[in-house]
Amino acid sequence: MNSSMIPSELRKKIALQGGAVIIGGTVFVFFWNDLRKTAAAHIQTSSTSRISGILPSLISDLNLILPISLLAVLFGIACAFYLEEWCPATSWIRGFIGSQVNFLTEIPSLLYGLLAIMVLFSDPGVFKEIGAFPLAQNANGSGLEVALFQRNTLVFYAETLIFILMAMPIAIKTTQEALRSVATPIRESAYVLGATQWQVLTKQVVPLAFPKMLAGGCRSMSRVLAAAALLIGIHIPNHATGPRGIPDRFVLFLGGALLLSTVSSFLTIESGTQK
Amino acid sequence: MNYSIETENLSLWYGDFQALIDVSVKIRDGQITSLIGPSGCGKSTLLRCFNRVNERYGNVTTEGKIEVLGKNIYDADVSLPELRKSVGMVFQRPNPLPISVYENILFGLRTHSPIRSMTRTESDQIVEEALTSVFLWEDLKDKLKVRATSLQLEQQQKLCIARLLPLKPKIILMDEPCSALDAKGTLAVEELMAVLAGTYTFLIVTHNMAQARRVSKECIYMFLGELIEHRETQALFETPQHPKTADYVQMRYG
Repeated sequence: MNSSMIPSELRKKIALQGGAVIIGGTVFVFFWNDLRKTAAAHIQTSSTSRISGILPSLISDLNLILPISLLAVLFGIACAFYLEEWCPATSWIRGFIGSQVNFLTEIPSLLYGLLAIMVLFSDPGVFKEIGAFPLAQNANGSGLEVALFQRNTLVFYAETLIFILMAMPIAIKTTQEALRSVATPIRESAYVLGATQWQVLTKQVVPLAFPKMLAGGCRSMSRVLAAAALLIGIHIPNHATGPRGIPDRFVLFLGGALLLSTVSSFLTIESGTQK
Repeated sequence: MNYSIETENLSLWYGDFQALIDVSVKIRDGQITSLIGPSGCGKSTLLRCFNRVNERYGNVTTEGKIEVLGKNIYDADVSLPELRKSVGMVFQRPNPLPISVYENILFGLRTHSPIRSMTRTESDQIVEEALTSVFLWEDLKDKLKVRATSLQLEQQQKLCIARLLPLKPKIILMDEPCSALDAKGTLAVEELMAVLAGTYTFLIVTHNMAQARRVSKECIYMFLGELIEHRETQALFETPQHPKTADYVQMRYG
């Protein structure tokens, strides 16, 4: 797929987009510092927190990303493959899942974040009622912090579910689009040479659609991270912060989201040039 | 002379729409037969029945009998890959796979043989033979690693014919093989067909009546899903028996 693109052209695009991300990131950090100063009276940073520094954040990031990428993205891809390749065109399943997926992808990630807060951290929250909400009493961080870091299984599953709800529709939609982007003539020409459906998929369709599928995976993960960062942003007043005052995980999540969307846009550019 | 394809009372529906009505046809072995008729009269549909590509679209019902090479292709023991191996197909727009020329020619063989069953020398030879028989070897022998979609259209279409040959098909179906090509490319493909005609049975769909007259020995005229007339090309064009055929070949219709 790279072969169709001149390397210098690709480098130029990487430079342009990477530059934009770096500049945007720097500006954002400065503004964030300013914002923090003006609101300093309201924000109590707990830099003495036990949970600070980059390592715990990284680990809890992985804790968040791994189950979601395993469950949501893989299941989403499998679902898209079923819908596109095996499900009969006239079946009601296709229409039903299609409309649900469209609906769920159109919801802004902010709403999912709010849903997560409502379910997990509100005072009369579900988990409080069933006695699984001892987290708010923890002095060392917000409920979210603890939910992500100190594994309370029930909260962990609930939160994973919400993120799956957010990530899977995008994974389904982008994979479906990627599979559709492989033109019918290519499939047909493989079929009339006597290839079975499995051979057509593994030898032609998947290699051609792979960059777009990867881009879709990145996009859905980026959405998850952005929403997680948003949750932390809302909970900043009692959140653990790093030495410079910016909550580590907030930056980490946002940075991850930015990085993933950049990667996703590269992949889309590249696969867009293929014939 | 034997027949390679025979159909009896073949009817086909796309949903509620009947695209083929009681078509009974016998296609002779080892010569070029062309299918002519106005657009939407079921020529391509009939062509696509013979290697069962129609089934991929879903919502298709077929009735009647189709015998290809003496075997009913709707029998339970017919394997689709084997059927499609012996009945090759070339499409309207050249559609080589987006891989190298070399791999394009070997794709068919590779799908039908176990992994790593061919040595490098064997596969080199197969590619050379296939390209030589479509008169492309001289042009492409230095471009075997080039992506096939970057070739000229004419070369692509010839390549699409060439990649069928290693599979040793008996029948080659062509769905308007020249409509995307210019006059020179059309001529080249027609010449190629004339050369290969002894070895393979060709069935071509064409809108170009001059082409049907030039290349084919027998000609089938279809109209709105029905087979109207099937005779030798010369006779069909000069003394059409059915008034509808006369209308079409004398350009009073369509």
